[in-house]
Amino acid sequence: MSPQASAQIEEGVIDVLKRVSRRPIEPVLDSDLIADLGFDSLQVLEVIAELEDRFDVSIPLNDVATIRTVAQVVAEVARLIEGRST
Amino acid sequence: MKTLRTLPEALETAARSGEGYTFVVNGADARRSYAELQHESFRVARSLKEAGLQRGDVVALVLLDAEHFLTVLFGASMAGVVPASVYPPATAGGLDRYFDLTAGILRASGARAVVTTAALASGFEALRPTCPDLALVLLREGLDAPARPPDALPSLNDIAFVQFTSGSTSAPKGVALSHSNLSANVDAINGPAGLGTSADDTAVSWLPLYHDMGLVGMALGPLYASRPGILLTPQAFVRRPGEWLKAISRYRGTISFAPNFAYDLSVRRVKDRDLEGLDLSCWRVAGCGAEPIHAPTLSAFAERFASVGFRATSFLPSYGLAEHVLAATFPPRGRPPLVEHIASDDLTERRLAVLAEGGSSVPIVSCGCALPDHSIRIVNDDGGELPDREIGEITLSGPSVMLGYYQEPALTAETLKDGWLYTGDLGYLSGGELFVCGRAKDVIIVNGRKYHPQDLEWAVAELAGIRRGRVVAFGTTQQGASDRVVIVAEPSGTVGAVALAEAIRRRVGESFGLYVDDVVSVPSGTIGRTTSGKVQRAATKARYERGVLVGEAADKAELPA
Repeated sequence: MSPQASAQIEEGVIDVLKRVSRRPIEPVLDSDLIADLGFDSLQVLEVIAELEDRFDVSIPLNDVATIRTVAQVVAEVARLIEGRST
Repeated sequence: MKTLRTLPEALETAARSGEGYTFVVNGADARRSYAELQHESFRVARSLKEAGLQRGDVVALVLLDAEHFLTVLFGASMAGVVPASVYPPATAGGLDRYFDLTAGILRASGARAVVTTAALASGFEALRPTCPDLALVLLREGLDAPARPPDALPSLNDIAFVQFTSGSTSAPKGVALSHSNLSANVDAINGPAGLGTSADDTAVSWLPLYHDMGLVGMALGPLYASRPGILLTPQAFVRRPGEWLKAISRYRGTISFAPNFAYDLSVRRVKDRDLEGLDLSCWRVAGCGAEPIHAPTLSAFAERFASVGFRATSFLPSYGLAEHVLAATFPPRGRPPLVEHIASDDLTERRLAVLAEGGSSVPIVSCGCALPDHSIRIVNDDGGELPDREIGEITLSGPSVMLGYYQEPALTAETLKDGWLYTGDLGYLSGGELFVCGRAKDVIIVNGRKYHPQDLEWAVAELAGIRRGRVVAFGTTQQGASDRVVIVAEPSGTVGAVALAEAIRRRVGESFGLYVDDVVSVPSGTIGRTTSGKVQRAATKARYERGVLVGEAADKAELPA
């Protein structure tokens, strides 16, 4: 995946996080969704649904359980997009 | 009044109707007739006996799959074993914490067996040293003995199931319900003063079965009426709320209940393109309960979905609790929600519900009238009955009142007095209708799920940087939204306030999937103790709400830049 594509995913993920959150947040790659950004378990699933729509991927629920940080979200989306194009 | 039936008797009747459940999982639906489920339950019943379980033993159910959950519930009931439903782990969160907390429930219930999934089995095996009664960890798949109708069925006075509904782990409370309780409530729900369930009805639900509204209302309700039940997963709903409405439309659902937050989530998250082809004109009972009902949420939902056939007269705001099986009140069907606008000052200061004439007011939704053969009284702190429009604790009596908290006589005696169930909720009566205003007990409700302050306190108590036992958790209520979760702690000084707040949020997030809205670090000695050594939660909360709790204002600016 090109750096541009990667940056685009990161930008998209951060945009979704900001829209789903009901408080002002400034996510960075290291941010923990729950501890730093204040998402509860319901909102994490809302983020997942929004990402699926935006990137046209299907994120398995088992993977959701292990996702903690913004970087992991970006990596998961990138992995699914890569898998789709091969 | 209808003849009361045990769960196996109701299943026997339903099995002869040809109806059944349709389980919708990952978009695929699987229909199982009540007859097939009864047959499967016979196998479970026999397997539990062959595994060595005796009459009266407790078996804990930790199962996400609805078909598995229901067949084990039915089978255990047929075998005379007491099923206890326990929360499965939250989606986000560490399993280690989950097992620590669940061990408390297993010990309190004296469970001899757990029926669970392969993924969780080893975790439960590892609990055996700390749960001496736990002899068996069973997989649902292994309960496959040949079917044979059980020889001794339960009687109406036996326990039908124990519900650890609150998920409280620091002080686990299992609500024990008899078959007679269950039948009285389900029959009243289906009866003419409730939903008026008829041969034309189909129920659609995504509610979890370890929750009273999901299990009793949306799964056992249709079964006792021999009607079809369409059961989606909670995960499907929270990921895509539109799936709920699509299922109602596709299966021509007539009855569906959900907590207030689900209606709110649907308004916020169902997209315009999800409305295409949707027809909600079949939905005649849109029940709302299990958490405070916010009038503007219902109006917004009715407005948003009117174009696809939803009618505001379908709303059935209702009140109930697990200690009363499920339902306690229903309004008359076919009218829009009845809302009173109550003057805020009178509400808080005089505990009186006066209709507001200008000024600030709070909209309160009527939850309707007591079920037939049941009664409601509003009482003051001394248990004296209050007249109409005076606010006090809601108490209930009648055949739905639980047997008690399982093996907790002291706790039961505090809650059941002279045949009256003290609900811990606050409300007033007007013209026989109940208006619920708040909670007297200190439970925190977020997105329809109840959390006990002590569970949160225990979860963070051992974190480095907190003075031993000096931490208090509580929720502050906000109109129309989930409670704000607040944790007040006295730091020991070994960890900075910012890091401490982060550690507290992380721990509560991992353990409960819950965000702590505010963490307040206070100087040593701020959190008082009672003479018996308990933290003074109510006093701390009152000071916080009055704004006189002196925090070190540590965490306000701690979001990463």
